[in-house]
Amino acid sequence: MSVLARFGANTQPRRTRQQGEGLDLVLPYLLLAPAVLFAFAVLVYPVWDALRASTMLFRYGKPVQGVGFDNYVRLWSDPQFLNALWVTVSFVALAVAFETVFGLALALFCAGEFRGVRILRGILIVPMVITPVVVAIVFRLIYASDAGMLTVVAQSLGGSPVEILGHPTRAFLGLVALDVWEWTPLEFLILLAGVQSLPVEPFEAARVDGASPWRVLIDHTLPMLRPVLAIAIVLRTIDAFGTFDQVFVLTRGGPGEATKLLSIYGYDTAFKFQDTGYAAALFVTMGVLILALALAAVRIMRGMNPT
Amino acid sequence: MTNRGLHQRPISRRRVLQTGAGLAAAATLPLTFGSSPARAAGGKVIIGAFADGGLTPFKEKIIPLAKAEGGFDIQFLEDEYGVTLEKWFVDAQNKAGQYDMYLLDDPWVPQFGAADVLEDLAAAGIDSADADWVGPLIDMGFWPPRQGPRVKGFKDTAPKLVTVPFVGDLQTLTYRNDVYGNAPPATWDELIAKGKEGVAAGKIKYPIVFRGVTGNPIVTSWYPVFLAFGGEFFDDKWNVTFNSDKGKAAADFFVTTLKQNAPPGVVEFDSDQEGAAILGGDAGAIVQYSGNAIKSDDPTQTKVAGKLDFGIVPKKEKAIAQLGIFIAGVPKSAPNKANAIAFLKWYTSKETQAKLSEAGSIPVKRSAFGIAKPGNRLIPVALKQMDSGALPRPRTPDWGKVEELLGVELNKALQAGSGGGAGLDAAAAKVTDYLTKAGYYQ
Repeated sequence: MSVLARFGANTQPRRTRQQGEGLDLVLPYLLLAPAVLFAFAVLVYPVWDALRASTMLFRYGKPVQGVGFDNYVRLWSDPQFLNALWVTVSFVALAVAFETVFGLALALFCAGEFRGVRILRGILIVPMVITPVVVAIVFRLIYASDAGMLTVVAQSLGGSPVEILGHPTRAFLGLVALDVWEWTPLEFLILLAGVQSLPVEPFEAARVDGASPWRVLIDHTLPMLRPVLAIAIVLRTIDAFGTFDQVFVLTRGGPGEATKLLSIYGYDTAFKFQDTGYAAALFVTMGVLILALALAAVRIMRGMNPT
Repeated sequence: MTNRGLHQRPISRRRVLQTGAGLAAAATLPLTFGSSPARAAGGKVIIGAFADGGLTPFKEKIIPLAKAEGGFDIQFLEDEYGVTLEKWFVDAQNKAGQYDMYLLDDPWVPQFGAADVLEDLAAAGIDSADADWVGPLIDMGFWPPRQGPRVKGFKDTAPKLVTVPFVGDLQTLTYRNDVYGNAPPATWDELIAKGKEGVAAGKIKYPIVFRGVTGNPIVTSWYPVFLAFGGEFFDDKWNVTFNSDKGKAAADFFVTTLKQNAPPGVVEFDSDQEGAAILGGDAGAIVQYSGNAIKSDDPTQTKVAGKLDFGIVPKKEKAIAQLGIFIAGVPKSAPNKANAIAFLKWYTSKETQAKLSEAGSIPVKRSAFGIAKPGNRLIPVALKQMDSGALPRPRTPDWGKVEELLGVELNKALQAGSGGGAGLDAAAAKVTDYLTKAGYYQ
């Protein structure tokens, strides 16, 4: 018996832990588990539940029977849905077009370095950081025909009250104007980053060759900025499809159904009328439309990428 | 021995897991062993309400009284009208337990009743047979309704008292006594004719003001005109009848004559704008609920204090107003259910109702209308209107959708200033289609 063993010491060679054994084997999964579970809880399960609900008929807030794809079929014969789809597409197209043009113009203007440009850039993004509901309330105070700012100004100049929210076309354009005011800064920020990252050599060469600013814009700036422009347009388009707060506060979809976006129609259907299955089908359809749009945009961007 | 700083100490995986497990356990402790404040506090009642001037006397006078007399600790949570229905329905349906009581708009009772999310208050001890209740008001608390047609699935169900009348609100006429004299205009024609004289005399700018916003607001404004013209909304089998000749005449009168005598932007007017028009002195008359009416004598709220009087709504064939009461329901998931029911018993007692009337709110018990000094001149007029004629909206869980479909068409006709009858035909077709799909006629 060795001396060590006589004194009771453990003579077994100490087992060294191998990589990928025991705790090491499961630790990565354990560390990932909270994030995966969270993603399942807030992303996968709601989507699955919405898909399931979209195949059910609900009465009084409760599912009563499975109806397969009837809710999806019903959408395309529902004049309210078709109207809301048309209003939404028109709203998105008009708002994003104006926001992109104005955002680009502002980005080009603010790309150079001149006195006060940093303050100007800061001021230009202010609308974007204001809560949308507050923006809508402010615009309601501007548009209101009884005591709104526009009416007050018109009457002080001898005119009559300005009616915007009570007239279908004007209310729609008023909503577009609100969105343009609020979200042009986002396009501006994205495009400013794009403009500032462009190489200077082609522009210097064009200037040396005597190209006019317009030709520089058309022949150099816009072609080189195309991928950034595409990203800006896609991001804003996806976001604009989900516009809700401003309409909810400003017009509630009226007058008539002139500003009833899909988001408002879906909300009413789900929560005011408790037609949950139909609303789920509506939102799934809306999600598919947005996804298709995003995929198309990604394909276009890939096509534009010189690499 | 070197003393290694915390950041220098190697972190073992076991330690990471131990710490994580410890933090997770600590985070769940309050959920496991803690009690919510709502459960702990005795006498606490969480009441959800939508913001409306009709509840001001309750807030200002009755809540402190409830504390003093009954020891009730009322937490009064107000929201904007447009979001309360969905918020409370989700709360009740998901058993979230955020409220002990909802002060519903009465057309929502069928939705909550059909979903079976409210307590049976008669079973909890509230006496619906008390003869002191204003009859039509306590009727509105039942689901399915005790009278009138019932929707599919509830034809043979015994009615339960799922809600209790809270403020006996209904439409009455508010008019300018310097324009119409000391008696209210008896008919719609008189209202317009004398109103025009008032405009000509420079006393007012418009004979009438109302709400024109699509959906609930415009339907609510049109309803007393519709009832005055003798219209009926549905027959006893839920067939649409609102586009009868009488209904169409009411719609045409509303979108032409009334629009021509209202402020230019009335299509976009909601209760805040119509309130500003009558309390600001621009309009000569309005058919409205109590929210703005009870401000009529308060010089801080109106420019024409002393010039506003109340009467029953104008007549064509009849002088019938719309009943639109605040009505209290206790969700099955209420955290302080017993307190809420005890509060309702106290609130609907003869004595408290008398104090509610003194505070200036329209009571729900007949005895409270007869007190010596009601807190507002509107209260006896409200009783007069109830006796003259006041009807609730049809008792169906689908009223919200029906109102939406009708409201859109009425609003379009109001924009155009014509075509009210055609709008009703379009709305009738849509409503019939919707109700057919919902199984009403099977």
